[in-house]
Amino acid sequence: MELWVGAVNLGCLYAFMAMGVYITSRIHHFPDITVDGSFTSGAALSAFLIISGCDPLLSLAASFFAGAAAGSVTGIIHTRYKIDGLLAGILVMTGLYSINLHIMGRSNIPLLNQVTFVTYLKGMNPGLPEEIWTAAILCCVLLVFWLAVSLFLKTDFGISMRITGNNPTMAGANGVNTNRMTVFGVALANGFVAVSGGLVAQYQGFADIGMGIGTILVGFASVIIGESILKSRSVFVTTLSAILGAIIFRLMIALALYAGMNPIDLKLLTALFVLVTLVISKYISSNETRRYPVLKIIGNVFSTRKPVYAAIAAAVIISAAVFTYNILYHKKIITPQKKWKIGVLQVSDNGLLNVTRDSLVNELNKIGYIDGNNCTIMLENANGDLPTVNTILDKFLQEKIDIVVPISTACAQAAINKVKDIPVVFATVANPFIIGAAKTEKDHLSNVTGVYGWVPMDETLEIVREILPGRLKIGSIWDPAQTNSVFNVDNLKKAVDTYDDVEFFGATITGSSEVYQAAVSLVQKKIDAFVLSPDNIVYSAFESVVKAARTKNIPIFISDVERLPDGALCALGYDYSISGVQGAHLVDRVLKGEKPADIPLEKYNKRTLGLNLTVAEELGIKLPTSLIDRATVIYDSKGLHNAAETSVDAAVKKRIVLFLFSEHTIMEEATKGIKDELTESGVLKEYNISVDLKNAQNEFTMAQSIVQDIVRQKYDYIISLSTPALQVAAQGNKKIPHIFGAVTDPFRMGVATTASDHLPNVTGVATLQPVETTIRIMREIFPKANKIGIVWNTSEACSEACTMKARKAVAEYGFELLEANVNSTGEVMDALRSLLNKKIDLFITAGDNTVLLALDSIAGVLREKKIPYFTNSPSDVEKGAFLSIGADYYEVGRETAKVAIRVIKGEKPADIPIKDCVPEKMYINRALAKEYGVAIPDSLFKKAEKVLN
Amino acid sequence: MIRINNIHKKFNPGTLNEVYALRDCNLHISEGEFVTIIGTNGSGKSTLLNAVAGTFQPDSGSIIIAGEDMTFKKDFQRARHISRVFQNPFLGTAPDMNVAENLHMATMRGKIRLPRIGLSSKQRNCYKAQVEQLEMQLEERLDNLIGTLSGGQRQALTLLMAVIAGPKVLLLDEHTAALDPKSAAQVINLTKKFIQKYNLTVLMVTHSMQQALELGDRTIMMNRGAIIDEITLKEKKRMTVDDLIDKFSELRKTEKLTDDMIEELRREYV
Repeated sequence: MELWVGAVNLGCLYAFMAMGVYITSRIHHFPDITVDGSFTSGAALSAFLIISGCDPLLSLAASFFAGAAAGSVTGIIHTRYKIDGLLAGILVMTGLYSINLHIMGRSNIPLLNQVTFVTYLKGMNPGLPEEIWTAAILCCVLLVFWLAVSLFLKTDFGISMRITGNNPTMAGANGVNTNRMTVFGVALANGFVAVSGGLVAQYQGFADIGMGIGTILVGFASVIIGESILKSRSVFVTTLSAILGAIIFRLMIALALYAGMNPIDLKLLTALFVLVTLVISKYISSNETRRYPVLKIIGNVFSTRKPVYAAIAAAVIISAAVFTYNILYHKKIITPQKKWKIGVLQVSDNGLLNVTRDSLVNELNKIGYIDGNNCTIMLENANGDLPTVNTILDKFLQEKIDIVVPISTACAQAAINKVKDIPVVFATVANPFIIGAAKTEKDHLSNVTGVYGWVPMDETLEIVREILPGRLKIGSIWDPAQTNSVFNVDNLKKAVDTYDDVEFFGATITGSSEVYQAAVSLVQKKIDAFVLSPDNIVYSAFESVVKAARTKNIPIFISDVERLPDGALCALGYDYSISGVQGAHLVDRVLKGEKPADIPLEKYNKRTLGLNLTVAEELGIKLPTSLIDRATVIYDSKGLHNAAETSVDAAVKKRIVLFLFSEHTIMEEATKGIKDELTESGVLKEYNISVDLKNAQNEFTMAQSIVQDIVRQKYDYIISLSTPALQVAAQGNKKIPHIFGAVTDPFRMGVATTASDHLPNVTGVATLQPVETTIRIMREIFPKANKIGIVWNTSEACSEACTMKARKAVAEYGFELLEANVNSTGEVMDALRSLLNKKIDLFITAGDNTVLLALDSIAGVLREKKIPYFTNSPSDVEKGAFLSIGADYYEVGRETAKVAIRVIKGEKPADIPIKDCVPEKMYINRALAKEYGVAIPDSLFKKAEKVLN
Repeated sequence: MIRINNIHKKFNPGTLNEVYALRDCNLHISEGEFVTIIGTNGSGKSTLLNAVAGTFQPDSGSIIIAGEDMTFKKDFQRARHISRVFQNPFLGTAPDMNVAENLHMATMRGKIRLPRIGLSSKQRNCYKAQVEQLEMQLEERLDNLIGTLSGGQRQALTLLMAVIAGPKVLLLDEHTAALDPKSAAQVINLTKKFIQKYNLTVLMVTHSMQQALELGDRTIMMNRGAIIDEITLKEKKRMTVDDLIDKFSELRKTEKLTDDMIEELRREYV
């Protein structure tokens, strides 16, 4: 019964708001979003005045004027400045958010022990159950309200107002100042909405900055539902429909919850309900009634002439539905005795709250309370909708639960206001004293007890000072709408005040999208550390803070150990799971007979101190050993684990970065060679080394960023592959030992003048193309050939080196080298043809990237002319080359790794001369040989690694 | 009664959509006079009416009505003295309110709107009598919503509302153009009846050559924002529709009208 009466009461309170929305949307045809703000304004002002000692009914009058003021601002913006109505409403609503916060002074004002209209009602109660008495009085008040508004709309003034909305041109032509009339209408409507807000705040026992969100939707739904049920267009009926719509809406929600619907689906249900109502009403008035006589009957009932009958019929139908559900529901419960009924409620689906809930349930199970066996554990979630919290509590009361367990401050507040006779054990409430649950741990409400604890921000600050001694600037980010956050930040500020050399900088946010900018602004103020108190929004956007802090290597101190791996340096806080565990034990004590009044409130008894060693290394911060000893949780490369398991040398770890410029089969082979050599030598295990791979994807800017990052991250060793990688790394890094591989000519790079005279931190393996060998083999196969053609790009250093070698070699073997230069791949074919005109016998490409891109075309042309094509990349044979000799890059990789191992073992790079390493690999295309009619000596075939047939 | 002095009005000045709607219009209308206005589309007829009604303020010039300088007064401020009937029969009445309430609005014009609730029986009888004048059997339907009436009935009601408020000036903006011939004839008759009964000063825009010749004391012709000619009552009495057309040709000779416009006028009016 409480559920339904509670819903009716809430509906009555919201009916004032529905009337306001009716006036703006139906009379002025003005979609007024201001209501989301003015609803809260009404609540805020009323609550504020009440705690200042004002009479609750007078406070409602003040609320009315506050709402009217807000509405008139919207009206003026719209009519005078010709700004679109929707936009005007949004502007005012947004501004009201700040104003409301100012009015309240904080994000939540509890009205628990204050005199509200509820108190007055109680005083007048002749003995009826409280909720029913409230319902009766509210209905009477609404009756008067309805008549007053309807009569007002029938006065000359009211008619003028209606005509202004109905036909502004005509109104103007008849002497109505339409602008003024609109402003008046919107102001009046918002005044009603604000009164509604004040009433709801007094009824539920607190005013909260977020309680207005979604008001416009509820208002629209109420008006539409009302219109679909009562069809007449007369003034009295339409105003009544708005009121009824509000009440039916709340009943509908109660029904849904009662039937076990998940509050997540509430909004969907609202939309569906409105849709169904609209569609049915359309069907009733159309010709479809012929096909469905039932509809006709319903339609007759709801017809224009008998609105009162329609209202009665609606009430009958709803009650019938309610009773049916009641019966069905109770029929399902014919199971054996369920001993205890435990109702657990949380305000939203938030990680921390979920942790508490889960540990609570687990601990209850451990103690012996198993859901289904000897108790029913009802888990409910309001999904962020505050009025739903009340409805869920109503549901609990209806179900006659034995104990309520609210998780989070908002639920605790609502519970202690509503639930007086049943034990309440709260969990994960930061500060129960400011919500009125208790004065001290022992002196608290008689039916309430629980587990609480706020973060010891002063201790956090001490740890910050331990790690960063001296003058300190700390920065913090929080959402001023969360009472807990404000409370914690105040504690932090107080702690800061006790030190002369610590300065506090703060940035407030209202949503997760603002967190990054807030963090950046603090970074720009040159803070030394971030100190973040538990705040739902900041934690959900924690990565943004990490990103901003990384730019200047600023350490982050948080209160939530779960987030430690995500980039914080240190976390000092309470383990939320302990809240659930302690809570479960309190529940057990109460259910076993102890009175909550005799159980003092408990503080969380388990604290955690977490340290992130990886981050410490990255930031170059040496954590004091005393601190590490005190830590309960450590995060390092092994992951998050309890401190007891940490081994001493885990902190001492070395890292190698393997830096590639681009992806290429050659690089892949070399990388494999390096990895194999490193692993097989056992040096990785011995020296506890990890290897990271970084690839610049063939872009210089990317390469430069990577090198900067490498330097910043303070890797212990760099191994680079390919010439550009060597170049960029040598430029950007002067300290970290650097071993290069797969580089053709390090000398041209400026890295070295001779093998032993090179940059002190750089050494490695040079691999020139085996040009000489190629030409030797050419002579072996073609004793009579004369002219060798080569195309190369003068800007490629590697190419130049190879060509120079070629010139030397051809002289030695009695060839003539004909060269053609190109600047881009497009010119290659022309260059080739020019050489063909000069009647070359053989053609060679020596590691020139530009020319190699045209390999297929070159191979095709040469094949036509039957001119053998020699290259230095073995895989080219598959693409049409005649014979290829190249370096075996896998071996190159292994050689490079060998040099690296020498450095790891302690040799200085300056002392290691650059090694020349050209392990050769030969591939032959026998099929082409046959085609050209060339005989290749068998000895070569034997040496060849691969032969294509 | 009405003095329009040197009115200029440009809409959307300086943009691509600039329209020079009224060029130096001058018009004096004495009390009780009935002036009709004719012209091609876009000649500024309705704009002139709007200027008098106060829908917009002119760029320069002045408008004096009943001795008062109304140039900068808004439309609802002038509504006490000026009544309008629009071309669109749906513009003059409020569709979601009933006949009685609409009439009530008209009588309230210019007076302070008190929070008196509803209509007394005296008022209702008064309105009933007024509506009987229309001879459309609307007196039975005082509580019907305007939205249920036809265009002709609404226009007639608008006309009635316009005159019972006791205005000094009546502005009619092609008020029969959107009606079927029968309703149009009814409304014109009512117009004549009311004008005589209340001795109103009237400014009427019309598209009908017949109306222009039949009604009113003077007819002025507008083109491209300016008043180009005037035909007095005497001249009108002697004129037929063909004569009017000839007049147009004559004007063309003085280069006030182009061939296209004359063709347009011929098409429209004949």
